[in-house]
Amino acid sequence: MIFSSVLFIYYFLPLLLLIYFIVPSKFKNLVLLIFSLLFYFLGEPKYIVVLLLSCVLNYIFGKLVYKGKKRKLYLVLAILYNILQLVYFKYTDFFISNVNNFFGLNIPLLHIVMPIGISFFTFQTMAYVIDVYNKKHKPSDSLINFMTYVSLFPQLIAGPIVRYSTVEDELKKREHNFDNFGEGAKRFVIGLSKKVLLANVLGEFAENLITETVLSSWLKPICYTFQIYFDFSGYSDMAIGLGRMFGFHFLENFNYPLIAKSVTDFWRRWHISLSSWFRDYVYIPLGGNRVSKVKFFRNILIVWFLTGFWHGANWNFILWGLYFGIILIIEKVFLSKFLEKTKVLKYIYTLIIVIISFMIFSTDSLGDIGINLKNMFFLNNLPLLNRETLYYLRNYLGLLVIACISATPLMKVLETKLNKTKAKKVMDYVEPFIYLGLLILSTAFLIDESFNPFLYFRF
Amino acid sequence: MKNKILTFIFILYIFGFSLAGIIMKDKKISLEERRTLSSLPEYKMESEYVNKLDQYLLEQFPLRNTFRSIKANFNYFVLNTLDNNHIYLKDNYIFKSEYPTNKNSIANFIKVINKNKANLFKDNKVYMMIVPDKNYYLKDDYFLEIDYDYLYKELDSIDATKIDIRDIMKLSYYYETDIHWKQEKLDGVVKKMSEVMNFKYEKQDYQENIYNKFYGGYYGESAINRNPEKLVYLENEELNNVSVKYLENDELKKVYNESKLTGMDSYDVYLDGASSFIEITNDSSSSKKELVIFRDSFGSSIAPLLIPYYHKITLIDTRYITSENYNQLIKFTNQDVLFLYNTVVVNSSFALR
Repeated sequence: MIFSSVLFIYYFLPLLLLIYFIVPSKFKNLVLLIFSLLFYFLGEPKYIVVLLLSCVLNYIFGKLVYKGKKRKLYLVLAILYNILQLVYFKYTDFFISNVNNFFGLNIPLLHIVMPIGISFFTFQTMAYVIDVYNKKHKPSDSLINFMTYVSLFPQLIAGPIVRYSTVEDELKKREHNFDNFGEGAKRFVIGLSKKVLLANVLGEFAENLITETVLSSWLKPICYTFQIYFDFSGYSDMAIGLGRMFGFHFLENFNYPLIAKSVTDFWRRWHISLSSWFRDYVYIPLGGNRVSKVKFFRNILIVWFLTGFWHGANWNFILWGLYFGIILIIEKVFLSKFLEKTKVLKYIYTLIIVIISFMIFSTDSLGDIGINLKNMFFLNNLPLLNRETLYYLRNYLGLLVIACISATPLMKVLETKLNKTKAKKVMDYVEPFIYLGLLILSTAFLIDESFNPFLYFRF
Repeated sequence: MKNKILTFIFILYIFGFSLAGIIMKDKKISLEERRTLSSLPEYKMESEYVNKLDQYLLEQFPLRNTFRSIKANFNYFVLNTLDNNHIYLKDNYIFKSEYPTNKNSIANFIKVINKNKANLFKDNKVYMMIVPDKNYYLKDDYFLEIDYDYLYKELDSIDATKIDIRDIMKLSYYYETDIHWKQEKLDGVVKKMSEVMNFKYEKQDYQENIYNKFYGGYYGESAINRNPEKLVYLENEELNNVSVKYLENDELKKVYNESKLTGMDSYDVYLDGASSFIEITNDSSSSKKELVIFRDSFGSSIAPLLIPYYHKITLIDTRYITSENYNQLIKFTNQDVLFLYNTVVVNSSFALR
């Protein structure tokens, strides 16, 4: 099940809200757990076992790594279990096909269907065990609470990767009030609108561009950059909003990454929960930047290789990660100092690097990546534009303008400024109806579509 | 205060539609989309179930058409898009983009026609009339359309006498809300056919039967509110006295099926809509000639106008019947053979056999 579906918004959510707010506080986690498991079960019935097993085993590992002489051994076992689980479901066929290609073998592929959200919940449970081992927090004293944390439906299938310490207290006691619910509903509607009104339509724009021109070869990755940003940040907004409705405060996962001043800055703003996970559990344990320059660069490349590989079992994702790794090294060596002195160039530079990165991200074949790059930089004798490119550019121009504005903090700044003026009282009454309008409009777009999968599910 | 209002509105809205969805009876068909709607899927323990359930809920959502209309109006009038789901509005007409030109489909069309001709009626007189879809007459700087020059040039390679009606047709000869041409505007086309196919054209006296509530196929797709238009079907004594045999409808013996006027597609009034094999015999005709028309839906409305000129007209729609099957129903002797298709079918011809 996905959040941007009629089934979720108009049936699953109302039923859960009804039961959740009726039952006494001590049963609220249980209700959340049951509905979260139902949420997962409806989408992936047979893989509910994988999720349950992961919950129970990591709960036990949490207990074992906290105290005792063998706690290091249990930590290694926990990490091995989590990594093997991820590797088996996500990367087996990738490894087999590469071994086949490299050695000229014909080992049959296993065609394993990946459990939805495995990349996210595996990283959560791994972080939990490591943090318990490092005494950052105690192990959970309630299996129900721990299972609720891991399987909590808002963040279960597409993040953000919520750390146990973030919600530890709220799992035991949290507030339910109009402020939490209202802010949560608002955030949910904003995320839904990003996904349905912007991401999906921008994807449609890119798909419509069939004939190759230089302009279309830029427009496609531009659309895809916007699409994946609004898709994923929209999903994070919905997750944060839903969490808030039930009294949880998840950390932000995006902070307007498309206005970043450098690639280093971009990765401080994009998928924050993932980059901080790799920072805390890979980069720093490897020595971070407190090592020789060679090792420092090695650490960066390892982290970015893994970041790319985490996004998908394909070479283009690895290339995408390493591309960022190399650019980050270049920035650290000299480019950052130069960029800091510029006013506009730094933004243009970052956007171009990011747009090219998402061209790589969205292109399965390495050969096609080369062709796309040639197309973008006038190296394939393509016309600059044609009637088709102009038609679709004109058709989606209004949407592109809205997308550009929505990718900046402009509306947020405007809202903050308005709230400091006398208009605040009027806005208090008007704003809820703006969100109602967005909800109606998003529903209208959903109804007009047939099937609507989230892009980030299989990463 | 803001969050209290927000909470109240949000809860009221989602619960309201949720309850309405549960209480309201399921609709069986959508007239606007001309299709049957999903019913509640039976539970199966598979990941596809949730998609089927969501599809069902989407299709049965309360005020579904109003929501579709909200989206279309938002696109056209707020975002100022040129099309919504490839539907393009201009001068009261609704167009559907058939872009891009599908060269493989055009090649396939040529292959299918040549194969049928070589196998079944290589000694017959064979004609071909390709009806331009109404986008051909939309003069617009923006609009993306099939490369008609390419399409017609490629079709020239088919060994058949061409009946080119591009200069005879006009935009006003098509319905505003539908893909089809208007039967009452086809006199010029029949005249042109008579010149090429060698029958003697005579101005006919027809009584105009008018159905005033015709909403064409593009109307439903556009989701834009507008008034219905007029659908005319022409009748006279000669048309009423012919004998008509439908392969799929034993009971219907007439050229027009008026019960279809209020059905899913009023255009089906002409020769009962989609039919694989129809025989029209006109014993009162002075002509002994016979005509076999391989056709799409455009053939349904023009065939009645050809009745005075032929003793027998056979209509075959190869999208619904194979040559093995229709060969058992007809023997090719010296009939005239006409391929009558519109450009949209040529550009998406893989259903033809």
